Amino acid sequence: MDQSRIRNFCIIAHIDHGKSTLADRILERTGLVRGTAQEQMLDTMDLERERGITIKMTAVRLSYTAKNGTEYEFNLIDTPGHVDFTYEVSRALYACEGALLLVDATQGVEAQTIANASMAMNQNLEIIPVINKVDLPHADIAMAKEEIENALAIEAGDAIPASAKTGVGIDEILEAIVHRIPPPQGDPTAPLRALIFDSHFDNYQGAVAYVRVVDGEVRPGDRIRMMSTGKTFEVDEVGVFRPRLERFDVLTSGEVGFVTAAIKSIGDASVGDTVTSAERPAQQPLPGYRKANPMVYCGLYPTDADQYQELREAIEKLQMNDASLAFQPETSAALGFGFRCGFLGLLHMDIARERLEREFDLDLILTAPSVDYVVHLTDGKILDVTNPSEMPETTKIASIDEPVVHATVLVPNEYVGTVMTLCQDRRGTYQRTEYPSPNRAILHYQLPLAEILLDFFDKLKSQTKGYASFDYELAGNVAADLVKVDILLNGDLVDALSFIVNKQFAYYRGKAIVEQLRKVVPRQQFEVRVQAAIGAKVIAADTIKPFRKNVIAKCYGGDVTRKRKLLEKQKAGKKRMKQIGAVEVPQEAFLSVLKVAE
Amino acid sequence: MTQLQSPGGAGGDRCPRRTPGRLDFQALTPVAVYVHIPFCPSKCGYCDFNSFAMQGEIVPRTVEATERSIRRSVSAGRPCKTVFFGGGTPTLLPGSDLARLLLAVLDTHPTTDGLEVTTECNPGTVDEAKLSELRAAGFERISLGAQSFQTHDLIQLGRVHSPTQTFEAVRAARRAGFSRLNLDLIFGLPGQSLAAWRQNLVQALELEPNHLSLYCLTIESNTRFCRYWNRGMLDLPDDGAQVEMYDAAVEVCAEAGLRQYEISNFARPGEECRHNLAYWRGEEYEGYGPGAVGCVRTSAAAWPRRRTTRTKHPARFSDEVEAGLEAVCEEEALDELTGSFERVMLGIRLNEGIVADGLSSEGLSEVLRRGWAAVTAGRVALTPAGRHFCNEVAAALA
Repeated sequence: MDQSRIRNFCIIAHIDHGKSTLADRILERTGLVRGTAQEQMLDTMDLERERGITIKMTAVRLSYTAKNGTEYEFNLIDTPGHVDFTYEVSRALYACEGALLLVDATQGVEAQTIANASMAMNQNLEIIPVINKVDLPHADIAMAKEEIENALAIEAGDAIPASAKTGVGIDEILEAIVHRIPPPQGDPTAPLRALIFDSHFDNYQGAVAYVRVVDGEVRPGDRIRMMSTGKTFEVDEVGVFRPRLERFDVLTSGEVGFVTAAIKSIGDASVGDTVTSAERPAQQPLPGYRKANPMVYCGLYPTDADQYQELREAIEKLQMNDASLAFQPETSAALGFGFRCGFLGLLHMDIARERLEREFDLDLILTAPSVDYVVHLTDGKILDVTNPSEMPETTKIASIDEPVVHATVLVPNEYVGTVMTLCQDRRGTYQRTEYPSPNRAILHYQLPLAEILLDFFDKLKSQTKGYASFDYELAGNVAADLVKVDILLNGDLVDALSFIVNKQFAYYRGKAIVEQLRKVVPRQQFEVRVQAAIGAKVIAADTIKPFRKNVIAKCYGGDVTRKRKLLEKQKAGKKRMKQIGAVEVPQEAFLSVLKVAE
Repeated sequence: MTQLQSPGGAGGDRCPRRTPGRLDFQALTPVAVYVHIPFCPSKCGYCDFNSFAMQGEIVPRTVEATERSIRRSVSAGRPCKTVFFGGGTPTLLPGSDLARLLLAVLDTHPTTDGLEVTTECNPGTVDEAKLSELRAAGFERISLGAQSFQTHDLIQLGRVHSPTQTFEAVRAARRAGFSRLNLDLIFGLPGQSLAAWRQNLVQALELEPNHLSLYCLTIESNTRFCRYWNRGMLDLPDDGAQVEMYDAAVEVCAEAGLRQYEISNFARPGEECRHNLAYWRGEEYEGYGPGAVGCVRTSAAAWPRRRTTRTKHPARFSDEVEAGLEAVCEEEALDELTGSFERVMLGIRLNEGIVADGLSSEGLSEVLRRGWAAVTAGRVALTPAGRHFCNEVAAALA
């Protein structure tokens, strides 16, 4: 296809602003799908559908005959809507020339809108503002426009009012895509350069790479080379999704599609990498490649030690589909054999856990998430610590750096104080405030990543009655005054419960966790001492009194089934307990660090 | 035992119809028969039984429906060796109604030697005349819900009787010819001290019952007590205090010659409640009346068994019976494996214990090591210490 008739674009929006519904309408209007047998066509996995978010993006090709009579080839590239997947979003944006900026007319600009729009502007994408949900009675188009202009510095005069739900404005959007988004400008005769902006693993085809061909072309049978690793493969198939797979003879400059090449590992088709020709390689890869770095780590252990091997196989399988998941074996005195896993963020961690439990039928214990601490030792060595129990003794530590983020919080004015207090409680450093509209403020804070791993988002939402929106980007490492707090049960250190915390919060958090454990650890037949300690110094302690009896007083003919079920439940519950010394500890105890009420 | 005569006009369906091809139930082991009377003067705060404070037409209607359901029971023809009327408050019904229901049971189930017929009895609902009527009808054992001899306890529990009425009911029962008498008492009541509990035991023993059921108060969900408890309004003795009360009870009963034979039950030798023993020994039982539970075999083979719960609400129960239905709201097919699980759970409650063969050897060595159970002559039974951890032992052994 002549590049002048290609339009590559994506939709950027805050969660729930209607991105998937708009994509569905566009697919319908271009004749790709009839009606909406299943809402939200682009979200493929069940899990995504349940959570209402897009985890893995997909590209679809659409044909659109514009009002001027010309047929255009549209490639709609779906982008993940969560901060954990920022890098993937940036690569998807790179594959586009334009973006629809979707803003909910009842909500206005939100934190993710700002994050994604700034990313799109940095990549010089043509941005078409679309004000969605104008059919709702409390839609405020003027407010939405004002916020787009003030918060994003994007001209909103020609923003398109639309309703993805009712179909209003869809035709205008399609015409704007044709006329406002520029066509690709690649060189069809140059050596092949194609950007991998997504990939997934297929059991038969191997890794399926979603690419944007920038220069040159790619055909089945071509020898290709991955520019980051130098590995070469022979192309099996190229094609597009509409949304089902269709094989083509060639993908040419400006086009978006997939490439398969018997790539055995998803790691060899990593997002951001440039595909070139092995015979006639390009000189320079496309800019912006980086390896996906895990940001959040936790221990994953099978509840039943016999499932260790199963867990390993399950994680390996998951990793085939998710190159950003990192893992290595680790051992915990408390939990036995398991894995330290690295994730892009908390959501990524949660999704991985859910998939492991659901798709592989495993029963897992997760330890509290941790970040990657850079520990400078007194002997000059530098250590990466992702597992709190591996933190060296205080005497050997010169200093510790922790990752921080630049956080953006959008909030109605009346909650500015609340949010500032929350950020300060979480060791935030205030940076600045902006006012996109008279009623709302954008607060900028630097926050330690570890602090938002706790219940920051939940707290933010509940304290602002759900009005605040929040996004963040990594902002490097800074030195912090941190200590490791250990938890002991009857004097036995529970390594899986150790955590790292700012010194000034150590006492409060230690106390809160001890209290939480007292609630979740069931009474045993003996007294259980729960202690939090820094080194040998106990900073908080409590006791769980023993139970003196467990007997049903009355049990006659009518009670038998119910009592039997209780007993069966008791037996099953016992199996799920972890034995720490003589103390039986339930799974949820290992996440109690997360549930600490501040 | 006196020969029972049916009152005139009791209806033509007295003799159960035998479906051709039906098993010869006569040949099978007897069943224990339970009849549930779901009516109470008022609902007690701690009670989660199927009981309703109803009056008027629904009461005779339910009696009528219960009788019909007995007479056309699928277990008709199976012999019975014990009959137990429980509730609710059976003695809220006129004596004639209880007599009529008992007659229906005895017409439906041939009796065996040494038939035991018990009714629960609320002290505030009987006098000597009524008790005599019951005795004449064939009841020979009375279980009196005394609960406590402290007026404030009874008020708190929501009981309608006074301590005096309990004393009077016992005397009346004796005069009416009931030699077998049980008293129910509850310990671990809100605000109850160990001394107060001991006082209750002494007063109970002064009445010389040959059977005592001593229950620790249990907070059941969906009761008034449960709501109070959740709001922190109940000052209950902690489990340590409950253990002391229990141990005191065991000691006092032993001194008085009442031998413990189950977690909560004490009797003079030979005076154990044979009906309840049938439950704990995993024998078959049939249940009649709203909410009553039965568990009987479905063929000549001992397993599987069918456990049924009759429709609970009296009006619904009556509707269904009148429509010719079985009036069963829940049923469960019990296979032998589940049955043996229950057998352990129930049997371990008894001082006679359970046969050691076939129990989880890991679990058995665990409970022996903890000193919760002991093995004598091939049977495992709880030790005094183990009685406080009956659930743990059952979970380990089952």
